[in-house]
Order: sequence, then structure tokens, then C-alpha cells
Amino acid sequence: MWTGPTGELTYSGLRVVELADELRGEIVGKLLADEGADVVKVEPSGGSIGRHIGPHAEGFEHDPNASLYFWTYNTGKRSVVIEVDETSGRQRFDELVAAADVLITSDGPGRLGERGIDLDAYLVRHPALIVLSVSPYGLTGPWADRRTSELVGLAAGGPLLSCGYDDHTIPPILPGGNQASQIAASFGHTGLLLALLERQSSGLGQMIDVSMHEAIAVSGELANPYWFYPRVHLHRQTCRHAQPSPTQPALFECADGVDVYFALILSDTKTWQTLVEWLDTLGLALDLADEAYLSLAHRQQNFAHIQDIMESFFLMQESADVYRGAQDRGLPLGPILAPEQLLDDPHLQAREFFVPVELPTQGEALFPSSPYRFSYGNGRPGRPPKLGEDNGFDFNDSSAESQVAAHDAAHASTGVGLV
Amino acid sequence: MTATADRRPVPRVGPLAGIRVADFCWMGVGSVATRMLGDFGAEVIKIENRRRIDRPRLLPIYKGEARNYGEELADADPDRGGLHNNYSRNKLGITVDMKTARGRELVDQLISASSVVTENFAPGVMERWGLTYARLEELAPGVIYGRMSGFGHSGPHAHYKSYGPIVQAVSGLSFISGLPGQRPSGWGLSYMDNQAAYYNSAALMMAILRRNKTGLGAEVDVSAVEVGVGMIGPDLLDVTVNKNHMRRPDYPRGNRLESPTAAPHGVYPAAGEDSWLAIAVFDDRDWGRFVTAIGSPGWTNEPRFSTAEGRHQHQDALDAHVSSWTRQQARRDAMELLQNAGIAAAAVQNAEDLNEKDPQLAARGTFFELDHPVIGKARFEGTPITFSRTTQHTWRSAPLLGEDNHYVFGTILGLPEDEITELENEGVI
Repeated sequence: MWTGPTGELTYSGLRVVELADELRGEIVGKLLADEGADVVKVEPSGGSIGRHIGPHAEGFEHDPNASLYFWTYNTGKRSVVIEVDETSGRQRFDELVAAADVLITSDGPGRLGERGIDLDAYLVRHPALIVLSVSPYGLTGPWADRRTSELVGLAAGGPLLSCGYDDHTIPPILPGGNQASQIAASFGHTGLLLALLERQSSGLGQMIDVSMHEAIAVSGELANPYWFYPRVHLHRQTCRHAQPSPTQPALFECADGVDVYFALILSDTKTWQTLVEWLDTLGLALDLADEAYLSLAHRQQNFAHIQDIMESFFLMQESADVYRGAQDRGLPLGPILAPEQLLDDPHLQAREFFVPVELPTQGEALFPSSPYRFSYGNGRPGRPPKLGEDNGFDFNDSSAESQVAAHDAAHASTGVGLV
Repeated sequence: MTATADRRPVPRVGPLAGIRVADFCWMGVGSVATRMLGDFGAEVIKIENRRRIDRPRLLPIYKGEARNYGEELADADPDRGGLHNNYSRNKLGITVDMKTARGRELVDQLISASSVVTENFAPGVMERWGLTYARLEELAPGVIYGRMSGFGHSGPHAHYKSYGPIVQAVSGLSFISGLPGQRPSGWGLSYMDNQAAYYNSAALMMAILRRNKTGLGAEVDVSAVEVGVGMIGPDLLDVTVNKNHMRRPDYPRGNRLESPTAAPHGVYPAAGEDSWLAIAVFDDRDWGRFVTAIGSPGWTNEPRFSTAEGRHQHQDALDAHVSSWTRQQARRDAMELLQNAGIAAAAVQNAEDLNEKDPQLAARGTFFELDHPVIGKARFEGTPITFSRTTQHTWRSAPLLGEDNHYVFGTILGLPEDEITELENEGVI
């Protein structure tokens, strides 16, 4: 039984079996693998669902080893093909689980039952095992076997209603990047940590039942407190906080066509003076420098006028200059960066946040690295596995240690960047 | 207001019992991050400053009074704020004036009696008080120092100011959210306050897990922006692998899905004002069930809708037809109808739906209630995890400002009562 890291990284030596076709489980496996765990992804012979979801690497359009979607969420794992629904496959799967510290699943109870996967039975057989179930609604309750998706998850859980445009003839708009699953996975990870901490003292495993629906329902920030206390609803607004009543726009377009987010907050006089000084650098302080504007009431009365001047001020400058100009004055402002701009961000570059990862197809590409930095050592994403490339793997094999070493070496073969 | 008997600190149970946290966290990210530690047994001591009140205490989320997030009352009662109550349950609260030498001494003493220190100030604030990792390690050997900031503690933008929407802007999350050809819709909430908090909780527990084995402490640096970039998803690899750019006319996709080619896939108007229904039909089997569930109207027989490819290609027409059906439906009834037919669908639920109508959240006990001396009974967002062994230890609502000064400085640090009273009178605590 694993009692803590066996090497530099937090999860080094931790043995994980992942029977999770859905992101909500897969992401937890990735977080573990990136910090040193030995994560074995169990896949059907056709490959897990994600291998067939695009986009794919160009030139490899239908290759199950070339899905960028799969690569994103499966770095550093092993891939073992096992037909878990067949007798011989089940035996092989059970052997893997018997030697593991953690089993991750992502299905609801009905689907697990159809496949004959009895999570409780694994716990009875292996008292130290931690079973992490990250399912759509949880393993119990009237909705346990309902269907979900990224869109349906954020709708049912509430945050979707806060996201969209000022124009309410436009429906709420799904934020990008599969965030329903990200929210569930975050609780999968913290839930697993609590269970691992518990096991360090008791030696006993347990069942962790994470409900994606519940996880999303408690992640709406202000919507629930506004219901708990004043019992009012929030109304969505374009790219800024949903509020009980409308507030001013917060996006300003710059000369290069890039929008910046800036919430014009008038209440603080010092901030106001900083803003006016900044406007003055382009000769746009105009009447705002008048003493009358030192009164909050006057600023509030002339909000539209101030907003007009700000619009012109931002339109005269490049977004990068606006970003630096505001932040160097202590004003919180940020450009709405497209993913391609992140690669050129001097701050992320200085922190060596993007690291090269060997691709299962050919060559290497930059991936985002560890989201946390520990003074004792940071993990990094390893090469995503080709389908079935670790088929012979066995945790208990006498050569398992060397297998692990070989695997680590393979995954670290592009060892530049973070230590 | 003094602590009544039922608000006195109790021995804590749970996987983090025995861990004392000197918690300098405030605002959203830090408060939510240490909430999980407090929920599961850690003794989290929230260190506050009477001259710079934690903003969630002042934000006007009050019973019986609807004000916007930014519209604080000039003389707001720091014990009345609902957001603070939601963020800081199960924590102890003390006040210290860090501008005084005596206040800093007291904090050093508290750190010496703790094994975790957490903060989410702008980089440099803790250093100004001399509270570097090296100093903390002297005070409390093996300490874990959790540092939560927008940009991380190194790099040219380390000093940049941020809060949720700024983090979402500069990490790419806002850009990837919206309708093609329009400005981004982004997020209508500080999504990254929550996610950065969850990652900070995890990072702290990872360091504790390691310390339990090795006895060694750690400094932990989490940048909310980097957590955000890690959540963009496959579009980032579409840039780094395929050299595609996302700043283009047909991106982002709004509520539509390119892969798999699901359709109908969207948010459709239901009966009533600002009432919506999300529907995701992924394949032919889903489509067949959907058509039957809505009563097989004539348009569903059109040949262009007979294949997944056709439905995806003709989404504008398809969505118009689907809307003609959804407009006649109450959103929750339609959700029941479609889910009973095996379709992924949901009412776009508001907070009232979640709290008063959602049978799943009710059955799972997602929300719970606690009393508070100023606010009265209030609901709280629970932990969305059900364990078979571990239990959440909920013992109290959020601390009043300075509520636990006597317990922490007296019982934990051993100061005599008269000295604590003097510190109060001098404004040190």
C-alpha cells in the first residue's frame, strides 16, 4: 500500500487504474499522472471515446492516436486494452485493480451495473482500495442515471444562466473548454486527497462518490448566496458578472482589435485620480481633471461621459500597451487573449509554463505544465499513450520497477524546461 | 458580540484533524481554498485586520435587501455579509494589526504553533512583514506555506492585480466563450476564483500528504492564470500542434459542438421570460428518441435531418424547428419528458430551481443550514462529495470579526486574560 511519495513528485509510486471514458474521470487521472502517479488507462479495443473526438493532429484525421482532445486529458498515462465486459478481460482488470491504490470510474450507477462493475465489491475485496467515482449526478438519488454533457451539466447546475450577452433574446452561451467536467474533476482530485490522507492514518480505503451536478451547483459563485440571502436572481451580462440589476459594459476595444476587460469602479477617489493621470498621458483627461469630479456623486452623474472618454482612450492604443499601462498603475485590467497569444506572453514564458511534450505521432509540441509549483519538485505532462502500448503491463510484475523506470524515461525524453 | 456557548471551538475530527492553519487568506480564492481544509478537520485560524476588512464581509449580500455586488453600504456591518458566511464557516477568526510590532510578534507566535500558513495577498505583502518561507521554516520547522496569487510569485507580471474576470481574460478562457462574429460572452461569474481555490486546496493537501510521509515542509506557489490556461482544453493544442489560430470569423462556436457532430445541440427558449432548455442530441439513436418524445412533428421527417451529418449541416433550420417546440414547453416539464426518453437535456436552472425544486440536490443534501448570531439561519453550499468513511465536520457558521481572539490568544498561545484585554484596548487585536 502506498503511504506517500516514493520519489521526488507528490504522487510518485501511486498506482491508479482508470476505467473512465469521460473527461470528469480522465482529468483526475491526468492530474495524478502529471505529478508522478503510475496511471493505467483501461480502454476497449476501439480505444476510449476521446480518441475519436476532434480536433486531430493535421494529417492524422481519423487516427485514434492523434486526437488533440485525447492528448489534452491523457498525458503521462499508460494505455492497456482490456474488454472489461468479457470474462477474460474482467479477470485481467480485476488483477490490475487488486494491485492498485486507486480505481477511477466516470459512469453512473446504471451503466456500471449493466457492465457488471460492482464498486462496493471491490472495496470489500480490497479494504485499502480507494474507489473514486466521478459520475454525472452521483451514485444515488432520483437523477443518478440521467444523461448529461458539458452543455447539459452547466445548464442543470446553474452557472450557464449567468453566462451570455446583455441581449436576452440570445440564449445563455456555454463557456468553452469542457468546464462541466473540469469542475467535477477538481472535486474528484480534492476528494481523493482527503481519502489518501485518511488512509495514511487508518490504512483503510473507501468510496468517494463525486456528483458532477452537485459540484457545478456549488460553483456558481454569487448566484446561490444571492438566493440564500436577499432571494433575488442574477441576470447575465456580456462578459462580466451577472447581477441583480444592470451594470456598465466592461469590454473596451483597442486599436489592434483586441478587447480588454476593465470594470470602471468610481467609488475610490485615489483610483479615480490614477485613472485621470493615465488619461492625461494621451491628452484625454479633458474635463475629468476638473475638481468637480473629485465628488463621487458627480462622477456617478457623468458615468456615460466618462465611459465615452474611456472608449476613445482605449481605441487609440494597442491592447498590450493598455495592459501594461493599467497594471503598472495598479489598475486591474486584462486583455481578452486568444489561445495563440498565450504562447507569446512574456510572463508565462519567463515562468516556462509551456513545456515540450513528445507526441504519439511524431515530433513534439508545447503543452501547459503543472498548475502548481512545489519547492520540492514539480511534475510535467508526459507523452500521451498510443492505444494499447502498455498491454503487457502488470503492477506486480517482478520487472515492474524497471517498467516504471523505462516508462518514466520515455515520458521525460524531451527533458527541457521545468525541473 | 461575544461567543455564546454553542459557538465555542470544539475538537475537530476528519482527515486534517491536528493541523492548525495560520490563514491570512481573504477575498474569494483564498477563503474558498481554506474552507475545504476547515470542513475536513483542520483548525483554520483566519487572521483579519480591523482597518482593512475582508471584502466578502462588506459585499451587500444581505437578507431582505437586494443590492448589486459592487454597491456596498458606507457603514457596512462586517458581521452581516452573506458571502463571508458562505466562505468562512468552520474557521476561527482573529484580528491583528500588522502595522504594530506587537501584532507581528503575536502572528509569529501563532505561526510557531501552526503547521500550515496560507495567504493570497499581492506578492510582496508577506515579505514586507518578514514572512518569507525561510523565516516561516525557522518559526515552524516543516511548515507548508501556501501562496495563492493571480500570476504566481515569479515572472514580470507577478505584481499585476487580478480578480476572477481578469484571470479569465488573460488565461484565454473568456476568448474561447461566445458566438462567432461577436464579442466574447466569457463568464458571468468569477469562475476562476472557484477553480483556483479548488486547485489551491489540492496543492496544500498534496504537500501535507508528502509531509506525512517525509516530515518535510514545502512552499507552494499557485498562479490562478496558469490554472486557467490549463483548462482551455484541446483548442490550445490546436494552436501548438496544428498552428491554427482561434482569432477567426467562425470561432468560437457558441452552444454548438463540432466534434462529435451533435445536433440539435443548443439552448432553446422555453415558455416564460428568460426561460431556457439545453438539449444535446449526439447520434441517430438519440435523434430517434428525441423525435418520438416530442411527438414526431412533420419537420422531423425532412430528408436533410435524417443523418447526423445532415442535421449538423442544417443546424440553423433544425434549431428553428426545435425552438418552435420548446417555446410551448415549461422548462422543467420538458426536461422531465426528454430525460425520461433518454435524451441529455436540462432546464437552465436558476438558484431558486437548485435550492427549492431540484430533487437530486435535495436527495444528496448538497445544501445545509447553520445559524449565525447576526445573520440568523442561512443556507450554505456543501461539499459535493459523498465519502463512505470520511465525514465533513461542520461545527459553526463564519466567525464574527475577532470572535475567537480570546480562544486563540488565550487558550492556544497562553496569554493571560488581562493582557488580551489590554491588546484589545490598544487596538493591536
